[in-house]
Amino acid sequence: MRLSTTTTLLAYLAFAGLVLVAPAFLDDFWLNRMAKYLVFGMLGVAISLSWGYAGILNLGQGLFFGFGAYMLAMSLKLASPTSLAQGSDTPVPDFMLWNAEPGAQTDLCCITGSSFLWQPFISQGFGIFMGLALPVTVAFLLGMVVFRKRIAGVFVSIITLALVLLVRLLVIDAQPFTNGFNGLTDLGWLTIGGFEFDPYSQATYYLVAITLLVVLAAARLLVETRAGLVLQAIRDDATRARYLGFDVPAYQIFFFAVSAGIAGLAGMLYVVVAEFASPTFMDLAFSITMVVWAAVGGRSSLLGACIGAIVINMIEAGASETEALVEAWKAVIGLIFVLVVLFMPRGLGGLAHDLIDRVSGATRKAEGRK
Amino acid sequence: MLDILFIGLSLGSILLLVALGLAITYGAMGVINMAHGELVMIGAYTAVLSGIWLDLGLFAALPLGFLSAAAIGWAIERVVVRRLYGRLLDTLLATWGIAILLQQAVRLEFGLSFFGIHIQGLGPGLQNVAVPEILQTTITIAGSSINAYRVFIVAVTLVLTLLTWAIMYRTRIGMQVRAIIRNPRMAAASGIDVARVNALTFAFGSGLAGVAGVMMSGFKTVFPDMGSSMVVDGFLVVVAGGVGSLLGSVLSAGMLGEINAVAAAVTNDILARAIVFGVVILIIIVKPAGLFSFKGR
Repeated sequence: MRLSTTTTLLAYLAFAGLVLVAPAFLDDFWLNRMAKYLVFGMLGVAISLSWGYAGILNLGQGLFFGFGAYMLAMSLKLASPTSLAQGSDTPVPDFMLWNAEPGAQTDLCCITGSSFLWQPFISQGFGIFMGLALPVTVAFLLGMVVFRKRIAGVFVSIITLALVLLVRLLVIDAQPFTNGFNGLTDLGWLTIGGFEFDPYSQATYYLVAITLLVVLAAARLLVETRAGLVLQAIRDDATRARYLGFDVPAYQIFFFAVSAGIAGLAGMLYVVVAEFASPTFMDLAFSITMVVWAAVGGRSSLLGACIGAIVINMIEAGASETEALVEAWKAVIGLIFVLVVLFMPRGLGGLAHDLIDRVSGATRKAEGRK
Repeated sequence: MLDILFIGLSLGSILLLVALGLAITYGAMGVINMAHGELVMIGAYTAVLSGIWLDLGLFAALPLGFLSAAAIGWAIERVVVRRLYGRLLDTLLATWGIAILLQQAVRLEFGLSFFGIHIQGLGPGLQNVAVPEILQTTITIAGSSINAYRVFIVAVTLVLTLLTWAIMYRTRIGMQVRAIIRNPRMAAASGIDVARVNALTFAFGSGLAGVAGVMMSGFKTVFPDMGSSMVVDGFLVVVAGGVGSLLGSVLSAGMLGEINAVAAAVTNDILARAIVFGVVILIIIVKPAGLFSFKGR
């Protein structure tokens, strides 16, 4: 059943190689697009970590993605030319002017009731820090409540689902603070040490690609550690793990928070590449779609879930541009979901495992006969 | 104040009809049907289409909505769900795929690009259904005016809930359903045709959703995505009320409907929904088994 370490290592190396040489064959438009798909691949890793390894099906992963996205987007919004050109001491987002009381002072401190909270985001470093800190903190606090109370299975899914919808509505309702339904658009570029990341450049692609590879490798190493093994034992039988003396909630909280952090990171990178943040990131549909990517790729395989996300998005892009399918592609995706769940419960990753097992099993048999 | 409470009651009624189907299928079969909202949408479109094609009013659309949603629910159970019993989360994902399929089918972009079919009333546009004149009046009770259509909604829900209760507790098939809820294997061993009962239960739950859709078509616009938020609300009602408890679903639907209506009157519609989500999260955290779960065992 378990793949040999060499095969796994080869698979990871092949994937890394593909991702790194891809820009040689892509124009600017496709480069930007591929970078988005790699971000989704990172979400696949996050889902696989919490669902496949920890057994926690988070139907609200979009919450952490959205947190990451909004935190960095606030910084980038303040860096946009329109925000800078308001003639005040601090840059002011354009939508705050539209929502301001007549005669309000044009400054972040007090243009609308809660606009002073934007002030620290003038520093992009703060935006990046919050993009990681907020999802991890929220996941930690949520985990403290949920897992310490031994809430499990589908009830965790319902809580996360309700939570992401709750936050989405609050973001929409807080129009003067978040620009409501429209989200944050017209963003500036991410600038690190004087270098500007143009979303359509190779630099941005490599920023995303290398982050993804690092995250993938780190997650892989993490699940190989003792803590990762204990986690899988908890997934398979929480009660037994508890009787063996493991602090079950502690492991669950830790991995839940790590998964949230990865999603937050993905959210930030998405904002860098796509140049907007919107409440649609916290739609139910998006959160469930992520889960389906991971299911198609194979939830119990980090690499499988990552590739699943990338491949489905490429199919979607291909199908939505094919003449015959131009209006039916969404239905095609729906059909793929149903068929995969029915006939490939372990996803493409599981299929690959079986294939390699069969091949290596056959060679072993042949060697045995000699 | 009375009028606000009555709006809450009618909201709760629609919620209850949606939740009853979810409660039965989740409680009895361990299936989370994410396509349940699309069955509401199918009910609503039945009202639209029966108006355009057959010149039928809302009253006649009620049984038609039940039948069409039940038929599609039955097909979903036969083709997909029956292969997934015992795999709770897989049912969630597969039915999500079905939900996308149904939405696209109704949009008929499917048909437009493949077969050149155009069906009057379907498609991405918005549709409205006229409410019969008898129901357009208002009734005045204790100084508050109450919309007759909302009274109608509450009445239909009351009848259907009583009917569901009677079927579950007063008929042979209801007894079989309850046996399956308690222990499917034991039920099968006692000679109950579990596959048949499951299919019928699923169809019945779907039919209730269809009726909810017909009634919604009277006060909301009908469009292909209308079901998505319904299934979430319905599911929250089921979980907050306590899985496997019909009474729990009834009470929590009423409670969440009232919270929604009162909060919407005090603040706005968006915040009201947010408050409902918040309340449900708190309920699950404080009482994971739901407010009215049956005790023992």
